[in-house]
Amino acid sequence: MTMADQNTWGIAHVYASFNNTIITVTDLTGAETIVKSSGGTVVKQNRDEASPYAAMQMAEVVAEQVQDAGIDGVHVRVRGPGGNQQTNPGPGAQATIRALARAGLEIGRIEDVTPTPHDGTRAPKNAGF
Amino acid sequence: MRVAVTGTPGTGKTTATELLGTDLEVIHLGELVRTEGLTSGTDEDRDSLVVDVDAVAARLAGRDKLLVESHVAHHLTVDRVVVLRCHPDELKRRLLDRGEPERKADENAEAEALDVILSEAVDRHGLESVYEIETTDSDPGATADAIEAVIEGDRSPSAGTVDFTGYL
Ligand SMILES: Nc1ncnc2c1ncn2[C@@H]1O[C@H](COP(=O)(O)OP(=O)(O)O)[C@@H](O)[C@H]1O
Ligand SMILES: [Mg+2]
Repeated sequence: MTMADQNTWGIAHVYASFNNTIITVTDLTGAETIVKSSGGTVVKQNRDEASPYAAMQMAEVVAEQVQDAGIDGVHVRVRGPGGNQQTNPGPGAQATIRALARAGLEIGRIEDVTPTPHDGTRAPKNAGF
Repeated sequence: MRVAVTGTPGTGKTTATELLGTDLEVIHLGELVRTEGLTSGTDEDRDSLVVDVDAVAARLAGRDKLLVESHVAHHLTVDRVVVLRCHPDELKRRLLDRGEPERKADENAEAEALDVILSEAVDRHGLESVYEIETTDSDPGATADAIEAVIEGDRSPSAGTVDFTGYL
């Protein structure tokens, strides 16, 4: 078995916070990091415009590095609601996934693994909207 | 006026709101939910009751001098939302000191790093109603003073003033 065979697919971990998006691409075990983005920080004055845009620019760079590393498809694990979102995952995450696809990466399973705040109680999913 | 004091578990909501000087009735929602069974199920994985937000809203209906403290409080209809913040490393220390299991401390710390509650609060109430308060290097008394300033109208709305993504 060659490295190339092993690494055909990877996992793109997308961390979408209120004003930052970070992408890490690992192998399928999650153990080895192949690419780590420096983060696409949103310009605060223009959150609606900037959030998807910054994430998209970063995703293009990441996609290129990932392909250089011999990976041509990724499963996506999204953590975080993103910024000014209407839906979950937020615009940062959605823009990131679209950009990865547009850059020629195959997109496999997309999973939302956003952590849930809890202390003996927790909110229902999509509570109170 | 109705105020929600929310924030990831461990940010200091209960401690700070116990020190408040205010005319508002302070409700510790976790207690109310438990004693009155305002739940819609159980999350076995997280050893947590799922809050029935509609039942809570009905229970508190018609009361207009209220401060509700809980990490679920921003799901209620309120005029102002205070979001307490704490660096995930410090948050994890506070939760472990409180005797919480490692897994619970880790998930809450990650939720804090990703601004989960802040994003929900802004999404539900808008930037003009959210007041973010950083507690990492302050004490409960200072946090209580900052919450009082929000209630008195002496503080401007704010959100996205911290970036904890370095923790991730
Ligand atoms: N600036 C601060 N404001 C509030 N609590 C703080 C602060 N600094 C440290 N703490 C401590 O954090 C711990 C967790 O606070 P707690 O009120 O139980 O949090 P929560 O109700 O948000 O889960 C307590 O031991 C508290 O004394
Ligand atoms: Mg508490």
